[in-house]
Amino acid sequence: MNRAITNFDQKMLGSIHNYSLELLNDTGIRFPNENAREIFREHGFRTDGEMVFFKEKDIRMALNTVPSSFTIKARNPAKDIQIGGDNYMMAPGYGPPFIIEPSGEKRNALLDDVHKFCKLVQTSQYLDFNSSIIVQPTEVPQETAHLDILLATLLMTDKPIMGSSSSGIAAKDSLKLAELVWGNTDEPVMISLVDSLSPLQYAAEMVDSLMVFAEAGQPVIVHSSCSLGSTGPITIAGSLVISNATTLAGICLAQLINPGTPIVYGLGGSPTEMKTGGYVNASPEDAKHTAIVTALGRYYNIPCRSQGALTESFCLDYQAGMESAMMLTTAALSGANLSLHACGTYGSMLGMSYEKFIADEDLCGAIKKLMQPVEFTDDAFSMDMIKELGTSGNYLMEMHTLKRCRSEFFMPELSIRTIHNKWLEMEPRDITERAAGILAKRFAEYEKPEIDPDIEKHLVQYVNTRKGL
Amino acid sequence: MPETKGDLTMAVKDIAEAVAVFDRVKVVELVEAEIAAKTEIDEILNAGLIDAMDIVGKRFSSGELFVPEMLMAAKAMKAGLEVLKPHLSAGAVAAKGTVVIGTVKGDLHDIGKNLVALMMEGAGLEVVDLGVDIDAEKFVKAAVEHNAGVVALSALLTTTMPTMEIIVAAIKEAGIAVKTIVGGAPVTEAFADQIGADGFSTDAPGAVELTRKLLST
Repeated sequence: MNRAITNFDQKMLGSIHNYSLELLNDTGIRFPNENAREIFREHGFRTDGEMVFFKEKDIRMALNTVPSSFTIKARNPAKDIQIGGDNYMMAPGYGPPFIIEPSGEKRNALLDDVHKFCKLVQTSQYLDFNSSIIVQPTEVPQETAHLDILLATLLMTDKPIMGSSSSGIAAKDSLKLAELVWGNTDEPVMISLVDSLSPLQYAAEMVDSLMVFAEAGQPVIVHSSCSLGSTGPITIAGSLVISNATTLAGICLAQLINPGTPIVYGLGGSPTEMKTGGYVNASPEDAKHTAIVTALGRYYNIPCRSQGALTESFCLDYQAGMESAMMLTTAALSGANLSLHACGTYGSMLGMSYEKFIADEDLCGAIKKLMQPVEFTDDAFSMDMIKELGTSGNYLMEMHTLKRCRSEFFMPELSIRTIHNKWLEMEPRDITERAAGILAKRFAEYEKPEIDPDIEKHLVQYVNTRKGL
Repeated sequence: MPETKGDLTMAVKDIAEAVAVFDRVKVVELVEAEIAAKTEIDEILNAGLIDAMDIVGKRFSSGELFVPEMLMAAKAMKAGLEVLKPHLSAGAVAAKGTVVIGTVKGDLHDIGKNLVALMMEGAGLEVVDLGVDIDAEKFVKAAVEHNAGVVALSALLTTTMPTMEIIVAAIKEAGIAVKTIVGGAPVTEAFADQIGADGFSTDAPGAVELTRKLLST
C-alpha cells in the first residue's frame, strides 16, 4: 500500500529529524526569556542574544525522559483520561473570540457562552476533556479571563481540564486552583497548550507558562505550526522541519527543568490562501500534514496532538461537513492521541457555533465507532445461529440481534436516517434548526456535577480574591 | 519630436509591463535606459512604476494574481524606484507619503501587517514598520519623527482591539496631523467608526487604496 498519508518510512522521518537537528544547531531557536536562556546556559547550551542552539545529544537526552503515555486525572475519577498508546481523546474548540449565530451573524463571545459550552462538554457522550479557552470571553477583563474560564470548567464539568498558558501568572493560577481540588500533587491534573511562534521562536508568555507547568510536572502540549507559504516554506517537507525543530526545542526546555514532564508533541501546517494571504486550516494539505506528524510522534515515542473538525465554512453546509470529516477522520485514523477543536468551530477556528458543536458530536461519535476494533469473538461470529437460520433466516427475530440492537451500531443524534416522505414531513427539516432542538434538550438535561462544597467555596474565593472582588 | 516621444512612452509602458510580470532585472534595465534617454523622471515614475502597481493591484483584487506574485511585482517596482530615487526631486517620494505601521500592544501577530507594509512599499509609499506589540507612545513618537501622513494599526486578537482605541485617541490627543487606519481579522468598519479611526480595510490592496486616498486629501 502506497497511499500518500500512510507511506512514511523511518528513512523519511529520519530525514525530517536530521534536518531539524541541523536547524537547531546552525540557526537556533529564539527564546525571548532570559530565565529560560539561563537554564539552557547552565546546561552548557550555546546562546547568542536571544537565540539558543541545540546539539544532537541535547535533543536525544530530552527525548529520552519524555514519557510515552500518562494519565490526566478528572474531578470524577471515572472520567480520567489516558494520553498515549492507542488512545484518542477529544476536546472542543480552543480560542475563538466569536460566536457564529445560525443567521450567519458574528458576535463577540461572552462568559455566558463559556458556561453554556461547559454544559455541552459535560453532557457530551464523545468529548473526553475540556478546552481551556473554549471561547475567549470578551466582556471580562482579559488579565483575569483565565480565572473565569478555569472556575467554569472546574465547577460546571467533572471532566479533565486544560490549564491556562496565556501567561506565567495564568499558569500559576491554574496550578493553585488545581491544588484546591486535588491537593499538592505531582500527578497530572490538567494539560496545557504551549504554542510557538513561527518561524523558529517562542513568545515570552508561552515560555513563562511552559516553565511553570514543567516545574510542576504538569503535561504540556508543545505545538508549533507554520502557515505554509507565509510564515513557513510552502512545502510540507520544509515546514515540518521548522515546526519540528521549534517543538523539539520547547520539549528540551521542559525536560531540562523537570525530566519526565509529560509532553504531547504537536506540529501544524496549514496552507496560506494564495489569493488573499489568509490562513486556511481545512484542507487536504493540513490533513496530510497531520498524518505525517502522528507518524513523527510515534518515531519519537511521544503522544501526539492533531487538529480537529475544522472547516472554512460559516454554516452547516456541505463544505462544513466535508471539511470537518476529512480533517478529523484523518487525525483519528493516522493515530493522533488527542484532538483540540473536535467540536464547534467555523472559519479557521475563528468562530464557535453551538449548532456546529452538535453536528460535530455526531462526527466524533462516528469516528470513535470507526476506530473501534471489529469484534471477532465466537459470539460475534455466531456460527450456530447462522447455520440454524440457513437461507430463510430473519435475523431481526433473534436474541443475538436483540441483545446487541442498542449497542452494536453508532446512532447519530442529528443526522437523519429516514425515508424521503418522512424527511419531507419532518418539522423542522433544516439541519441547523434540528441542531437547535437538540441544544435546548441538552441545556435542559444538564446537571451540575457534584463537588465538595468546601472545595467549591475555596475555588470561588481564590478567583474572587485574584479578581480583587 | 512627437515620434520620439511616442516611442519613449511605449518604452515607459514596457517598464509597467515588466513590473506586472515581476521581472525585477528587466525593470531596473529599462528604468536605467529611460534615465539615460533623458525621459521625464516623473513620467518614468508615474506611467512606468505607479501605473504598473495599479494594474497589479486590480489583477490581485480580481483574484487573477496570487499574493506571492503581487509581492514580487511590488519588489520589482521597488527595485525600479531605487534606481530612480537619486534623480527624483527632493519632495517627489515624500510627496507620496509616509506610513507608520505596526501591530498593537499585546498582539504578536504580524502576517497581515507585513503584507500590508510590503504592498504599500510596492505602491511607492515610504513605510516605517514598527513591528509587533507597539504601544500608543511609540506610534505617536514615530508619527512625529517621520512626519507620517497615515498611521496603520493591526490586530488579530479581539482582546487587543481596545488597544487600537487607546492608540487612536492618543494620536488625536497629540494633536498631530496624521490619519489613522485599522485592520486585522476581528476589526470591522463599525469598530473603526466607533473608535474614531479614519479608515478601515478588509484586505491589503484595500489598505493601500485607502492610504493613497487619505494621503491625497
